[in-house]
Amino acid sequence: MSPEAGLPEGILAHHYSSLERQNEAMRLGMWLFLATEILLFAGLFTGYAVYRYQFPLAFAEGSRHLNITAGTLNTIVLITSSFTVALALHFARIDKPRAAAICIVLTLLFALGFLGIKAVEYIEHFQEHALPGKYYAFEEVNIAGAAMFYTMYFLMTGLHGLHVVAGMSVLSWLLWRTLQGRYSSLYSTGLEMGALYWHLVDLVWIFLYPLLYLI
Amino acid sequence: MAESALPSEKLHPDREEPHAHSAVPYVIVWIVLLFFTALTYVTGTMHLGKWALPIALAIACVKSALVVLIFMHLKESSGTTRLVFVTALIFLGLLMFFTVADVATRFKLATPAGAPFGTERSQPEGLLEHEMPAEPEQ
Repeated sequence: MSPEAGLPEGILAHHYSSLERQNEAMRLGMWLFLATEILLFAGLFTGYAVYRYQFPLAFAEGSRHLNITAGTLNTIVLITSSFTVALALHFARIDKPRAAAICIVLTLLFALGFLGIKAVEYIEHFQEHALPGKYYAFEEVNIAGAAMFYTMYFLMTGLHGLHVVAGMSVLSWLLWRTLQGRYSSLYSTGLEMGALYWHLVDLVWIFLYPLLYLI
Repeated sequence: MAESALPSEKLHPDREEPHAHSAVPYVIVWIVLLFFTALTYVTGTMHLGKWALPIALAIACVKSALVVLIFMHLKESSGTTRLVFVTALIFLGLLMFFTVADVATRFKLATPAGAPFGTERSQPEGLLEHEMPAEPEQ
């Protein structure tokens, strides 16, 4: 009769009249959460805009001393991970849990790769003393506002890095559930929510990359 | 049952079932995203002066629109969900616009010491010489 017929136990909560309503509620809730995430990063982007406006030279100089190869590579890695997580959801929905699980594992590997490349960059900054605030002692960029560029750089990439770690935790849990066979053509909204979070991590990086590395 | 109390059981009867989609759009979007990454890299390393920021932001907006509409399925989402996203964008715009507008229209002594155009002591419009703030001591 209804699409809920073959659902495994415990997926449809008793206070929803149908699975479709539950799915819609989950999507709305997730997008509300993503909206707060966008506003969280909005604060940092606004701070960046203000200090970039006040110290244009320092921001241009600081940007030129970042590892642009690492930044570009990380952009490619993160975009590809976004693609694999979209594929994971697609495979779960056409009842191919094994292919979905492989795609989630690939996404996790890309995420690890991203953090690895980021770590190499951070080590470089520490060796050059290109550190935020009063710890700044980078000799190559020694103009007013340079410390502010690196402060914004560390705050933005740091908060983004924390989101990568959080996303990886969520995806690991979803991998476990996918392997349990929880997601199928009948129900895949749980995996969809995790994928949405991961796309947001990608979305933030799409703006961080040009603003920090390129201009 | 409670179900009969609700006005319509099917929220969006006309909408296509999500699992009817193929993976082809994802592949296309992925390739286009990689292309735009290359484009933003090339234009970014050319150092185009005052055009660098608008070009980079335009490319980033196109890329994120693709991610949001296709990867995050906002293209086929309900109006409520779209409204949430658009509201977030509006508040992002309000926050950035008014903060930057404030900073950009302050008179120069109010900018931090050491900023390129913050140190020079100029006379703001509408302020007479005797109304100027005292010279800070070195």
